Amino acid sequence: MAVRPVLRLPAPQLKIVAKPVARLDQPAQEVADDLVDTMGAYDHCVGLAAPQIGIGLRVFAMDVSGHPKARSCHGLVVLFNPEVLLGAEPKMAREGCMSVPDLTGNVLRPSRVVVRGTTSQGSTQVIEADALEARALLHELDHLDGLLFLDRVAAPHADLFQRRTYR
Amino acid sequence: MSRFAISVFGRDRPGIVAAVTRVLADAGCNLEDTSMTILRGHFAMMLVISGGAGIFARDLEAELSPVADRLDLQVSVRSVSDDVTTAQVGGERWSAAVYAADQPGLVARMSEVLADHQVNIIDLETRLVGEPDSVYVMHFELEVPAGRAAQVQADLAAAARALGVEVSMRPDEPDVL
Repeated sequence: MAVRPVLRLPAPQLKIVAKPVARLDQPAQEVADDLVDTMGAYDHCVGLAAPQIGIGLRVFAMDVSGHPKARSCHGLVVLFNPEVLLGAEPKMAREGCMSVPDLTGNVLRPSRVVVRGTTSQGSTQVIEADALEARALLHELDHLDGLLFLDRVAAPHADLFQRRTYR
Repeated sequence: MSRFAISVFGRDRPGIVAAVTRVLADAGCNLEDTSMTILRGHFAMMLVISGGAGIFARDLEAELSPVADRLDLQVSVRSVSDDVTTAQVGGERWSAAVYAADQPGLVARMSEVLADHQVNIIDLETRLVGEPDSVYVMHFELEVPAGRAAQVQADLAAAARALGVEVSMRPDEPDVL
């Protein structure tokens, strides 16, 4: 149980594809606990993935409780080996990330998702989420694949202003 | 360390960015914030760069001149203070879109409303599109002083009505995930 430092770019651990968690043993549970503790130490943080605290395992913590942009809310969620089963209704929104300080970017993501993973107790949990919770899930799952929002940001102006050649 | 503002402008063609930035890299300069885009068929580069001690604006301009001649570019280099930071309004982030049949003075009028409220324009892109009935499209990114957004919205809407333009404003706060 510890609050860990959150890695920031250009930390190489942020760009590595995390490994599946083979067993929910003591070390794996400690990673989950550290994610929850570290997330709780920052009041504006709604999610944190293991690579952000330097651990290359497929586990994240998320809690969108009380956030004004949240619609669905499953409270505190910790999932091992999560996977996206379904994503629909893409929407653009501005994201920031604790690992990428000072920058924000517009990212197109499904606004409705179904995600399945394994809880700390070892049972399978299927989460149907929308709005901010859906975005947070997809953002955290990206971290497990070594992807940052920077990898998905729409060209800052190209979504509005198409380039054209004038003659 | 010294810091320079460079602007480059010329008819768009492949190779401008590569040629200009190669000169700067070879001169030992480091690109910091830049914005580069096509404006009505011209390629426009704005760069803030840093360089080591002993580098002067006139030297950089001279080193860029062969590239400027070859690619028919207007280049200007000037020294800027390196202790400038973004004007901090410390407000809420909003986006605003304004579009209308083109007429002179649209940007001036809308941005006057924003200035009256001490709203900081962080980014502004405008395009003139369509022929023969040209439409003018503006997209603002704004920092609005706390508590002023409703009044700014109302005053923008009033100015827009007077000009016959459409305006919309929406909050653009990022979610830190």
